[in-house]
Amino acid sequence: MKQYKFSYFFGQAVRGLWRNGVMSFASIAVLMSCLIVLGSFTMLVANINVNLDELGLQNEIMVFVEPDLTDDELLRVEQMIRNISYVGEVRHITKDEALDYMIEQVGEENRDLYEAYRDDNPLSDSFEITNIDGAHYTDVTYSLSQIEGIRKTRDQRALANMMQSLKNGVTLIFSWFLVILFVVSVFVIINTVKLSVYSRKNEIVVMRYIGATGLFIALPFIIEGAMIGLVSSMIAYLLENVLYGYIQSSVSDIVSIIHIIPLSDVRLTMFFGFAAVGILTGVIGSAISISKYTRN
Amino acid sequence: MIDFTNVIKAYPNGTVALNGVNLHIDDGEFVFVVGATGAGKTTLMKLLLREEKATSGTVVVDNTDLSKLSYLRVPHYRRKLGIVFQDFRLFPKKTVYENVAFAMQVVGVPNKKIKKRVPALLNTVSLGDKSNCFPNELSGGEQQRVALARALANNPKIIIADEPTGNIDPKMSLEIMNLLVKINKLGKTVLVVTHEKNLVDYYQQRVIMIDGGVVSDDRVGGMFE
Ligand SMILES: Nc1ncnc2c1ncn2[C@@H]1O[C@H](COP(=O)(O)OP(=O)(O)OP(=O)(O)O)[C@@H](O)[C@H]1O
Ligand SMILES: [Mg+2]
Repeated sequence: MKQYKFSYFFGQAVRGLWRNGVMSFASIAVLMSCLIVLGSFTMLVANINVNLDELGLQNEIMVFVEPDLTDDELLRVEQMIRNISYVGEVRHITKDEALDYMIEQVGEENRDLYEAYRDDNPLSDSFEITNIDGAHYTDVTYSLSQIEGIRKTRDQRALANMMQSLKNGVTLIFSWFLVILFVVSVFVIINTVKLSVYSRKNEIVVMRYIGATGLFIALPFIIEGAMIGLVSSMIAYLLENVLYGYIQSSVSDIVSIIHIIPLSDVRLTMFFGFAAVGILTGVIGSAISISKYTRN
Repeated sequence: MIDFTNVIKAYPNGTVALNGVNLHIDDGEFVFVVGATGAGKTTLMKLLLREEKATSGTVVVDNTDLSKLSYLRVPHYRRKLGIVFQDFRLFPKKTVYENVAFAMQVVGVPNKKIKKRVPALLNTVSLGDKSNCFPNELSGGEQQRVALARALANNPKIIIADEPTGNIDPKMSLEIMNLLVKINKLGKTVLVVTHEKNLVDYYQQRVIMIDGGVVSDDRVGGMFE
């Protein structure tokens, strides 16, 4: 085996792919679609997760006080917030800090525009309440509404809940879709490789009598399956790049509050993920079609 | 050395092809296996090749009990055997040379050794000048000689030929049989299944008759005259 050139295995694999052109093409098309759905689904869920995190999770409330409170009054409000049961941590954010944060958000190029407000800051002081006991969330919001000097509270629970249920729905639908697509992919690959196996059936019989090992007989077909997987995954990778890039630019044009994971962050993971899933699917399919012939 | 002891072979559909075969063949023997159609001759060969397993009884080849051979060891076991089929089973898209070389490539023989050995093998079967021909450019007798060269490629101890002359015209049959006898003289055990009674009588070798799944006669010399 070691002595035998690997060109034999690859040569046979390529010949097999070529001989069953239509079926090879079908396998690649199906597996590629499958990978694109997998990739898109994964990216969608990943993006929802990132945005959920960005929303400051469900148990965070921002409290904005009236703009004209004195320092004493501020202290009193803070004390009252701290006295509410089930409130976790409370952090005072001064209006200076709020402005800093805002500048950070809009980017350095607009700094001057906002820096002009530094001395006559229109923003108000606020308190960030985190680690609220989720079970008593409404109690906390009620208690906050009773405190004098609070202008408004903001929590992102409703939005977060919506995104969470969107994520659950998406996961459910796509999981089933993916299962079906992978089953179809494996099935098509099995049949493609089976064609190759059939066209070499007589050779395989003779090879077995001569004393070829199961691996020797199976390897060309396994490589054929792996090649189907590799080609599918590379095409899927390129298409997914284009697709995601397009969605990325069009979504961020429309709604800027949604945070989109940059393509460059995931490119490598996507490349190897696609290659791994694609090749594995191809190998599984071809291993199934040849298994009958590698036994004695 | 080949030993069959009380070998019964029943196929899954219930056909009992062998019904208690006892047989001993020494190294270096030449044996004809004869019998009516359906007697169980091919089944006997399939058991030797470990393509089928005995339902009961033992088949021992070279101290290897085939019923105890794990399927991973089967390829290595088969390298002790050289097989010749009635229908040649050459690779149609490979040349004569490549057909023989492939048998060695399959078992991992280094290329250098293959290059040396294939021409010698083709000379043994008198086909040195046909090494670049494709099988469909050869007569049946010549194709079977290529198959013989291939069977010899990995220097097996035992040659198994199931009706090697079945697809060849009678004149060429003699040539193939002569080759098998020559191969036997080189020290190999040779088993030949055949229906050609006149050839069996002509060679005066050991003849084993299978009838209804058992050995019904076993003698040296002619059987049919
Ligand atoms: N794979 C199989 N499944 C079921 N029955 C089989 C199988 N192979 C052979 N048989 C049966 O076993 C019996 C012996 O068959 P076998 O092929 O060994 O005969 P044979 O002596 O080689 O005959 P022939 O001279 O025609 O080649 C026959 O009745 C045949 O029908
Ligand atoms: Mg037969």
